[in-house]
Amino acid sequence: MASAGPMPGMGQVMVLNAKTQRTQGRKAQLDNINAARAVADIIRSTLGPRSMLKMLLDPMGGIVITNDGNCILREVDVSHPTAKSMIELSRAQDEEVGDGTTSVIILAGEMLINAEPFVRTNIHPTVIVRGYNYALQEALSICEKLALVVDVHDTVRMTSLVQSCIGTKFSSRWNDIMVDMALKAVLTVAREIPTPGSVNDVYSQKMEVDIKRYAKVEKIPGGEIGDCAVLKGVMFNKDVTHSKMRRRIENPRILLLDTPLEYKKGESQTNVEITDEEDWNTLLKMEEEYVENMCMEIIAFKPDIVITEKGVSDLAQHYFAKADITAFRRLRKTDNNRVARATGATIVSRTDEIREEDIGTGCGLFEMRKIGEEYFAFFEECKEPKACTVILRGGSKDVLNEIERNLLDAMQVVRNVVFDPRLLPGGGATEMAVSVGLRKAGLKLEGIQQGPFLAVGEAMEVIPRTLAQNCGVSVIRTVTQLRAKHAAAYEEIEKNGSDGAFPKCNWGIDGTTGQLVDMEQFGIWEPFSVKIQTIKTAVESACMILRIDDIVSGSKKKGY
Amino acid sequence: MSAPNPASTGLSRTLIARQPYPHRHHNIYRATMSAPNPASTGLFINGTRETGQDVRTGNVTAALAVANIVKTSLGPVGLDKMLVDDIGDVLITNDGATILKSLEVEHPAARVLVDLANLQDSEVGDGTTSVVIIASELLRRGNDLVKNGIHPTTIISGYRSALKAAVSYIKKEMVVHVDNLGDEHLMNAARTSMSSKIIGKESDFFSKMAVDAVKSVKMTATAADVAGYEAMGSSTSATSNKHKYPLSAIHILKAHGKSSMESHLIDGGFAINAMRAAQGMPTMVESTPEAPVKIAMLDMNLQRHRMGMGVQVIVKDPAEIENIKKREMDITKERINKIIDAGAKVVLTTKGVDDLCMKYFVEAGIICARRCVREDLKRLAKATGGRVVTTMADMEGNEAFDADCLGACDSVREVRIGDGEMLYVYGCKGHGASTIVLRGANEYMLDEMDRALHDSLCVVKRMLESNTLVPGGGAAEAALSVHLDDYAHTIDSREQVVIQEYADALLVIPKTLAVNAAKDASELVAKLRSVHAKGQHGDDDPSLKYMGLDLIEGSIRDNLKAGVVEPAISKIKSLRFATEAAITILRIDDRITLNAAQ
Repeated sequence: MASAGPMPGMGQVMVLNAKTQRTQGRKAQLDNINAARAVADIIRSTLGPRSMLKMLLDPMGGIVITNDGNCILREVDVSHPTAKSMIELSRAQDEEVGDGTTSVIILAGEMLINAEPFVRTNIHPTVIVRGYNYALQEALSICEKLALVVDVHDTVRMTSLVQSCIGTKFSSRWNDIMVDMALKAVLTVAREIPTPGSVNDVYSQKMEVDIKRYAKVEKIPGGEIGDCAVLKGVMFNKDVTHSKMRRRIENPRILLLDTPLEYKKGESQTNVEITDEEDWNTLLKMEEEYVENMCMEIIAFKPDIVITEKGVSDLAQHYFAKADITAFRRLRKTDNNRVARATGATIVSRTDEIREEDIGTGCGLFEMRKIGEEYFAFFEECKEPKACTVILRGGSKDVLNEIERNLLDAMQVVRNVVFDPRLLPGGGATEMAVSVGLRKAGLKLEGIQQGPFLAVGEAMEVIPRTLAQNCGVSVIRTVTQLRAKHAAAYEEIEKNGSDGAFPKCNWGIDGTTGQLVDMEQFGIWEPFSVKIQTIKTAVESACMILRIDDIVSGSKKKGY
Repeated sequence: MSAPNPASTGLSRTLIARQPYPHRHHNIYRATMSAPNPASTGLFINGTRETGQDVRTGNVTAALAVANIVKTSLGPVGLDKMLVDDIGDVLITNDGATILKSLEVEHPAARVLVDLANLQDSEVGDGTTSVVIIASELLRRGNDLVKNGIHPTTIISGYRSALKAAVSYIKKEMVVHVDNLGDEHLMNAARTSMSSKIIGKESDFFSKMAVDAVKSVKMTATAADVAGYEAMGSSTSATSNKHKYPLSAIHILKAHGKSSMESHLIDGGFAINAMRAAQGMPTMVESTPEAPVKIAMLDMNLQRHRMGMGVQVIVKDPAEIENIKKREMDITKERINKIIDAGAKVVLTTKGVDDLCMKYFVEAGIICARRCVREDLKRLAKATGGRVVTTMADMEGNEAFDADCLGACDSVREVRIGDGEMLYVYGCKGHGASTIVLRGANEYMLDEMDRALHDSLCVVKRMLESNTLVPGGGAAEAALSVHLDDYAHTIDSREQVVIQEYADALLVIPKTLAVNAAKDASELVAKLRSVHAKGQHGDDDPSLKYMGLDLIEGSIRDNLKAGVVEPAISKIKSLRFATEAAITILRIDDRITLNAAQ
């Protein structure tokens, strides 16, 4: 209840709504830190190759089994506003780079936890924030020096990269297939976008990789995971409209439509009053003629396959069957777009406007296949497939869902590398390098911000620490050894007298065994953009939360 | 409200004691109410009444409570508030006006202060917190004076003359005229305004962005605008002030992801949160040396034409039905062709576009986006020198698309931001526009960055329009306080003591700044006052009057040199608003709250 204290001689003066609750000052700050800690603790155990899955039950009784940080937090219903803001981070991370959703939360939580002693010792939050930001800049520059450039078409490197990313996931048993699929799928849909010469801005990308639209994942329960594949083309779950139509065509000519091949009334309201029997016949005939006309217009171009997003009437089917054309109806717009891109066809909206260029000829083989109880149309062996379908097979729906999430993660990783072909060592090596580097830089700092600066370095250690923790080795010993390795690299440089040079120390933790390994040889790398984004998001959000000194709940809906 | 429970609502005890007489016409309710109290006002009103000192103290207490809420957010070391609404949505902010707007302030006098903050926000755009703090301090001191037997009207007239003296002192002594306003001063002002905000730590980056953005929308001012500046009291030198800077031309888009340092300004560009309607369309169109890219902005449907309700067409021949149908399709097709023929390379509409029509655009290599926000299109129209077209019909009933309605720009392209796509329009050929794309860790942060940046943009705009600045960081307030103290001694009437109080009240700003920075407020303010007194009484050192607080070091410094500056107009306005608000509340000596009609 926010009100001024009682004045002598009169009652309290109510200023705010009685429902309003406030938490102020130190208490608000510590509450926030605790909330962040709680969120980080939820998903701490899902980091690294030895991670565990979480089973989440929603109110409707559905279950989700996952170890994807974003997915877990999305399902968890939290009430503390700060916790909510933490969860938002994971969402932003997912949308921006699609990976590192767990680490960003753990890191942000740790940044706040490490700020707690400062808050308790009355250091002003703005001072902490300044120190944190300074440390962020330093950390980014360390990362840049540590980065390694990779060739996107170097399959071996790329494979090991993607492997390290999805190594933690459930499907790690079929790692090779998954990685291979992710690579293939992304490289298929990647294409260069023309850049306007007049605009020289660094924020636009030169490459377009639209996984969401053009790399479709089709899950078909049944079979085994080994049967998963990336098609050199596209596939969709539809049967031909008429059983007499051809089910296998080599080098088909494909026509895509988004118009109904049946009689459709006009948009304006039409009432027909018929007084004459003759008129009635004309009307019926007209409808038939209309369909016939459309079909004839199509047939004139001699397509082998006609696909439309709308319906195909029985009459039209009949004409097509007679002309030996295979027809599909009610295809989704997104699927149609994919077919268009894979086969080089243009989607036509009026049959009287078909042109020869609209026909797609890029597809090498069309075939109907029966998988389980359902029919699927395959368009394969496309010449230049700029779109593809990934088929996933597996025991149950839940398993398939989890594999899909993992595969999406893996594809995001590949995409990020295509955009920015720089890599950083994984397994906590980058974090430890940053941590040690920050400590070195921090000791040279003067003034009150040194504490917060060093705290960021310490917070970075949470990643190797959690990795060690999750695989059950002695945390303190492992992390200390790792720190010593990195510190030794610095000392060596100092001994050699080449001050200012940057020691490239790639030692990290093997998340499976808990041993220290050189990531260079072990082959665990992570995309630069993901790491950078993780650190930036974690520090920035920690700063935002630290700046809060007053939580007012029950305020009215914001009108801003 | 009959018989409120004092324990649950915390309402005054006096309120219970003054249970009202039910109004005559409401006698029927009498039975449900407690017995009429003989101590009541004797008026037959269906409500409560408070008079005299009670109401004044109540009002002042309420105002102080409001000021206390925002107090901690003042200054470069002020902190933020987290506001959680009843459905759990979060708002993190440092902006006084936003805080107060989101709080459910019920007390009528406190609402005056909330409105005050809003007024400052809309008039000046910055300094919303300080205006509330000054007003509440003036009220507190005014109330004490009343308690000591000075009549409110005396206080009011004292405040008025103090304000007058203060404003003329600012204009005469404090203002620094910057004839040729360099970027440096503008950036300093922007930096000062954002120093307390979440983007304060990256103020170099954002202040440059704010200055560039405002400068990019420079327009020639009309005579009316110039007259407006003069009316606002800014000392306009006729030569330097022929421009205006409409902030509405600066479009701020928010997209989460990346870090705040990756926010960027599209100079002379405009971004629309819309994507190509069909995948077959090109992702960019570029101008050739001969012809710029033409943009058509429509506020109409490009869907299959349908007759309006109640329109009936009677045909004799059944074959005509087919023709109607065909015609329906062709009407839209013709429209589209007219637009294409007019030379449009980009078509944006607020309504829908039929899938049937996509093909024409795809074939012509045109970018088409549907369901754009109408406001965005209007601004884009202004920026590119086009018009939003609502109908293609002309006076003769024919349909035509006027090529003059097309906007022009250098290039348009689709850019992927985060998980979505946006259309960037580069090099607008019209009145100029700029877009700032903000990036940040999450939505709350973006919203707060937006508010902070808006404040800075306002400040830069004011600076450019008035060309005058005053030192910040409590310098102006301390100088005024010393000056008013001296001025008070020249007054030989009752107002003298009031003006002295006014002088003291202004010190609340440096005091609060120091308190928020956890410095010794009393000592710092004393030091500050003594320097200013020295400057005003003889000492010729001109830098003395620019001395203000350095809140990081906890010392006194020349804030003009340190680059802590504010537009003079915003300082003057906030003093005016605060004084007016305080006067409004002090004048009240009777409060009648009517019960809700039953």
